This record gives sequence, structure tokens and C-alpha cells, in this order.
Amino acid sequence: MSVDTGYIQNADELTGPFAAALAEGRLIVQKCNDCATAIMYPKYRCPNCFSGSLDWQQVSGAGQLQTFTILRMGAPSAFDVEPPYCIGIVKLDEGPQLMCRLHPGADGTWNSYVCDQRVSFAPADAAEVAQRPAAWFTAA
Amino acid sequence: MTEVWTPPYPEPGSANDAAFIGIGEIPSGVYRERGFMAQIVEASARAISDAQLAHTDIDQIVLIPCLHGIADQADLIFSRVAEELGLHGRVKSSVMVHSGGSTSDNATRMAAGLVASGQARNVLVVYSERWGSADLQAMIDMLSVNGIPKEWEAPTGLQFNAIGGLITQRYMHQSGSSAEEMAAICVALRAWANLNPNAMYYEKALTAEKILASKLISDPIHAYECPFLADGAGAFVMTSATEAAKRHDAWVRIGGSGGCVSHYSAGQDADLGVLGWVEAAKEAYEAASWGPEDADLGEVYDSYAAVLAIAVEGLRISPKGEAAREFYKGRFSPGGQFPLNTNGGLLSAGHTGVGGGTALLIEGIRQLLHRAGPERQVPNAQRCIVGGSGGSYMDAQIMMLERATR
Repeated sequence: MSVDTGYIQNADELTGPFAAALAEGRLIVQKCNDCATAIMYPKYRCPNCFSGSLDWQQVSGAGQLQTFTILRMGAPSAFDVEPPYCIGIVKLDEGPQLMCRLHPGADGTWNSYVCDQRVSFAPADAAEVAQRPAAWFTAA
Repeated sequence: MTEVWTPPYPEPGSANDAAFIGIGEIPSGVYRERGFMAQIVEASARAISDAQLAHTDIDQIVLIPCLHGIADQADLIFSRVAEELGLHGRVKSSVMVHSGGSTSDNATRMAAGLVASGQARNVLVVYSERWGSADLQAMIDMLSVNGIPKEWEAPTGLQFNAIGGLITQRYMHQSGSSAEEMAAICVALRAWANLNPNAMYYEKALTAEKILASKLISDPIHAYECPFLADGAGAFVMTSATEAAKRHDAWVRIGGSGGCVSHYSAGQDADLGVLGWVEAAKEAYEAASWGPEDADLGEVYDSYAAVLAIAVEGLRISPKGEAAREFYKGRFSPGGQFPLNTNGGLLSAGHTGVGGGTALLIEGIRQLLHRAGPERQVPNAQRCIVGGSGGSYMDAQIMMLERATR
């Protein structure tokens, strides 16, 4: 177990690369250089072995939908999106999980989603990601 | 790293065995004319009187935070309560403890620890909240930043009803519970609230039909399944068992406690249908040497129906997956086999923020002191399981309360 002297000093080093990848239509998570744990959300130290030697890896974008909800009223003011919209939690095949947005189906609703179904990363457009840097998923 | 640690639990009745000796509460609901500090002073006065003490007997104040505004929160932090109660120059310290909805449990641990270590004789613990009178959008906005990582989850538009929706969806999927069975949880709590004059919905009935006909807020949660924000205040006094025996025939002691912080952000919990209750219960039941089969009642955090169902299963009060169906069958309602959340819970007594968990704790103490009145007193209640959870249901905290007599 090593402590990298080039340790992460501020949150921008964690949020910046993640958001930049999203803007390019890629989903990345952290990986530990010492124990190979895949980490999301990105941390200052590996939560498994406490190493400070951390890097990024692109993931397949394939995963399982743990749960989801369609918020129909009471959106946070700062979010600036008119409800309804759909939020989900996806467990990636690489291990880590994350809060995400879900695209509606062909009928314009989210009625066809069920817990534990397969989903895949389907990035939102660059303008959306620039304003709200979240990963979006759709039914696989 | 794996060294076994045997906790030095206090002997029942000893000088380091902490005892609840008094409670105070004012009605919850929307009371625009009531002041924040007025609520604190009234609840405190009632608790001190119930403890058969004079205000000058209090030598330590432990404060449960409010969430409606930082100015009032600052007044708590900077000892305004000591001055308002005439205790400046008398109390050793006035300090706020904060872990969201589980604060009541952690404040109890702290008060008990101060008593057990001889650092306080009579500790006043008090909460006051003005959520019912606060601006609703401001509270939604506050609840979309508290307990939600701004970098990683706020960009999805998450807020608290949505967290409730995520947990409920997962629980219903795992347990196969129907919408009717989930609604039965809120109906059971309302039936208890209808017996509690301090409950926000003391005088209003609620049916499953009304819940299911109300609009969806965050699927699968309906409007009448969301907690109603309330104003309220409550307080309790703790001392040692030896001090308690000087003035009281009966008091309440802590048989044991357990806790588990399962996550910070809802998206990181390994299983939102389980949370931290299984781990916490293991510790609490071992510490108390009794479990759910020995309990006379429970008072468990319930800001959404699924949150309560998950806790009830983790506590092994219900078999896994069966809590909502047991609610539906009436097991936890007035007249049922296992009285649960006998004040009406947060969902029907009113969600007084961090104080909602404290109101449940106070009700547990009240029941064990046999002061719940003829309508809802659990006959000869001796043991009560109290459960709390904070933030995005980040933790599960359990207090195993026991009635003790001189």
C-alpha cells in the first residue's frame, strides 16, 4: 500500500475529469492503482485499501437498475427543470453504483422501467451535461 | 484489529446508570403565532416539572437542532436557551448534537455518557422546530442540499420525496408489497394519531382510498404518503438511577443501544431495501440481552412508509418482506398485537424535522412511565425499541428502553 505524494488536493480534481468525460459522451469512474477497486463517486483515498494513488478508467456503461422514481412536483429551484423527470440508481457491471437520470421510453414516459432490469449509459447532449453534469441511462 | 472489546455497561440502578425521569411536549401542527424560543421554554418547563425538579437543578443542556433557519440554529449553538431558561451562570455547558433524524438517539447517548461519567447531574435535552410555518419551496430547496452530495447527486434533481420514492420502489419490488399494503402503514399511523391530542392530525381521519386517490408526488409515493411539515417542541430530562430513586418510583433506563452508518449518499447504499438496521439490531439486542419478542412496543423513525417497513424488518419485528402486509392486517394498529409509533409517528403526528425522531423517543419514554393516558397507553409496558435514522437514511440507531422501578 503506497501513499502517492501527488495526492488529490481539491474537489475540482475529482469533479473536473468526470464532467469533462461526460461532455465527451464517456462515463468514467475512479480506479485504485494499488488494489484495483473501481470507485464511484470519486474519492480522495481508496475506500477499500486507503491508498492515495488513484486514477480514472472508462467503464462499459452497462449495469443494473437498482431503483428509480419519477419526480412529479417540487423540483429544487436550482435544478431548473420542469417535472416530471426520472431519477435512478444504477449498479455498474464494474461494481460501483451511482445516482443518474433515466431517458423516457419511446412512448415519452418511464412506465416500462422495472427494478433490477439491465440499463446502459446513454449520454445527454453537451448543453445538458454542461448545466447539470449527471450520467443518463436508458433501457438496455 | 480484531481484538474483542467488552463494553463496560452500567449496572441497573447504579450511579452511572442513566435514567429518563421527565418528558415535556407541546402539540405539533401549523402554529404560526407560536415563537421558536417560546416553544423551547414551554417544552423545557413541562419536562422539568414532570421530572419533579426546579429549573435550577439542570446543570447541562443538550440541544437538538432546528432545520427551518440558521439564525435560530445559531441561537441554539450560542447558549440562548441557557439565558432564556434562567440558567446562565448555573449550567456547565449548553451544546448542540446533530445527526439529523437520529439526533435523539445520539443526544441520548451523549446525555447518558455525561451522567455516567459524573460530568452532569441533571441533563435537559430539548428540540423546537418551525417547519410547519416555514416557506415550503425554501424547505424543499434546503432538503435538496442537506444529505445530498452537491457534486454527484444534486445534478440529477434529487430531493427528499425523490429519495423516499427510490426507497419505496426498491422495497415494493423486493417484498412484493402492493400499493394498498403500503397505504395501510400511513392509515395505521393515523389511527394512532387520532388518539394523541399532541398530534398534527389528531382530529382528521385517513383512509387507504384517500391515499390512493391522491396524486403521485414521486412514484410510487402519493401526496398523502409524504410527511407533513410541522411546528413542534419536546424535551426530556436525564439523571442517574440513584438520583432518580430520590424522587420517583419509576423511571426509564437504556438496556443497550446499537448503530450503523450505512451511507452518506442514497446512491451509495449497498441495498436501499435494507439500510443499516440489520447491523444495528445485532449490536442492540446483544447489548440489551433482549429482542423484539420481548418488547411491548416500538417507536421507529417513519418519515416514509417504506422507511418504517424496512426498519421493522431489520429489527426483526416482522419477517423479511412482510412488514407492509402485517400493517395491512392490523398487527401494528391500535388494538393490534404490537403497538408501533403510538404517537402517530412523523407521518401523522407531524414531521418536526430533526425533532420528529425525538417525538418518537419521548413517546417511548412516556409509554414506559405509564403516562400516555387511557386511550393509547400500552398496558403495563416494560420494554420499548426506539429506532432513529438521519439524512438520506444514512444510519440506523437503536435504543433499547426499559422501565425501571425503585
